[in-house]
Amino acid sequence: MAKVRLDTYRPLVALGVFIVVFWGLPAFFKSFLKVSFEEFQAPAWIASSYLDDLEGFWSRRSHSKVELIDAGQQIGRRMAFYQLLDERNQTLEAEIERLESILNLPSRREFRYEVCRVVRRDISAWWQQIIIRKGRDYEIPVGAAVIFSGGVVGRVIEVNAFSSKVDLITSPDFRIAAIFAGDERPVIYQGMPQSGFGSPVGEVHDAPQDLRTNSQTPLKLVSTRLGGTFPPGITIGHVPWLEPGSTGIFQSGEVVLDKRLHELNEVSVLIPLNTIETAGDAL
Amino acid sequence: MRFDPRLILFFGLNALLLFLILRVNSSLSSWSIYFVMLGPMVVFPALYMRHAAFFVCTLLTGMWVDAAMPAPFGLFTTLFLIAGTGIFHWRIRFRAEHNYHPSILAHTINALAIIAITFTNGYELIGVSSFWIQFGITLIASHLALLLIAPWFFNLQRLCIHIFHLESEPESFPTS
Repeated sequence: MAKVRLDTYRPLVALGVFIVVFWGLPAFFKSFLKVSFEEFQAPAWIASSYLDDLEGFWSRRSHSKVELIDAGQQIGRRMAFYQLLDERNQTLEAEIERLESILNLPSRREFRYEVCRVVRRDISAWWQQIIIRKGRDYEIPVGAAVIFSGGVVGRVIEVNAFSSKVDLITSPDFRIAAIFAGDERPVIYQGMPQSGFGSPVGEVHDAPQDLRTNSQTPLKLVSTRLGGTFPPGITIGHVPWLEPGSTGIFQSGEVVLDKRLHELNEVSVLIPLNTIETAGDAL
Repeated sequence: MRFDPRLILFFGLNALLLFLILRVNSSLSSWSIYFVMLGPMVVFPALYMRHAAFFVCTLLTGMWVDAAMPAPFGLFTTLFLIAGTGIFHWRIRFRAEHNYHPSILAHTINALAIIAITFTNGYELIGVSSFWIQFGITLIASHLALLLIAPWFFNLQRLCIHIFHLESEPESFPTS
């Protein structure tokens, strides 16, 4: 009878033992391992992000003085315009507060805006996430809303010491309550897989039957305070068409999102000034 | 047991490859092109090192990738160890001194990784047509890029072995 060399099976035995031990490990131990490895590699990502900033700085240094003076003038004009808007905003805020106190309305949720650089974008068929350069060091909470100049970006899903993960609005796991601008009835926005061509898209469900839209004057979908995470009125996207949903009672359609969503460099995290209920916004 | 310094070298180069690929993916995000290039990370540790060193190197690489990518933790660790153990078990059949066999192994493991990600992260999206369009783009782009990246990466690993005066021959082949 031929001799069987047992030592040749040692790798297979080791693999079997590993699989049994690893899958039997308590969840907290795996979570600890994951966080440890993430924190260990975070400095490399943050350093590369600072190097990108440095690269931007040096590329701007190469601009001529005439270009810089021109840019400075443009910024000066914009600042003067925004100062006027700020004054008007303060007047309107004061008026709203006065009316709220007269009507004894409950207080609104207030937010602190934390501007963050985007360290990395992970946008694929399977996941749509970005990593930002602020974490527990800036008291970023899990579940906080993330926005940019074009509207809603997503929601913070994980916070590490110096970085945070944001689930993008295009992610199929992302779902929020929304309203159409000028209509108070709530609808549901949900992310969907991207084809990779054209603008990023999402989908809207439970739109009332009487709403009409077309590609010339698409309906604007905005956030609502119903969920608690997002302040009202932040742009989600535009809906160029609606069709009867599967139930026949409501309509559903595709939401065209901002083109810049997949090339973000800077976003704002809205940190609630009062405590946040992390699961509150999920429908 | 003798410590094999190639363990650190292979792990470091794997971490470098992952970092570079994720940087490229981040830069190409607006084009909706995403590269998955995990295949080459498993090949040389399994072909060159003793079992204990291969196991530690692959375990660390797997956990490193698991922490960096938004897949369930443990997916790549398990996949790498299964694929690596397979290569290790039959490594007498593969020629490590040329890039032909390692490249084929890298492509095979990479395809397995893409399928594994789809089953764990995209299972609920299987019925959505736009998911398959992007999946197809990712699969084709990754394997086309791998035709260039895999030989480059293997040559880099050989070069580093040479620069650091490490053992350049595979170890512990079966004698009978």
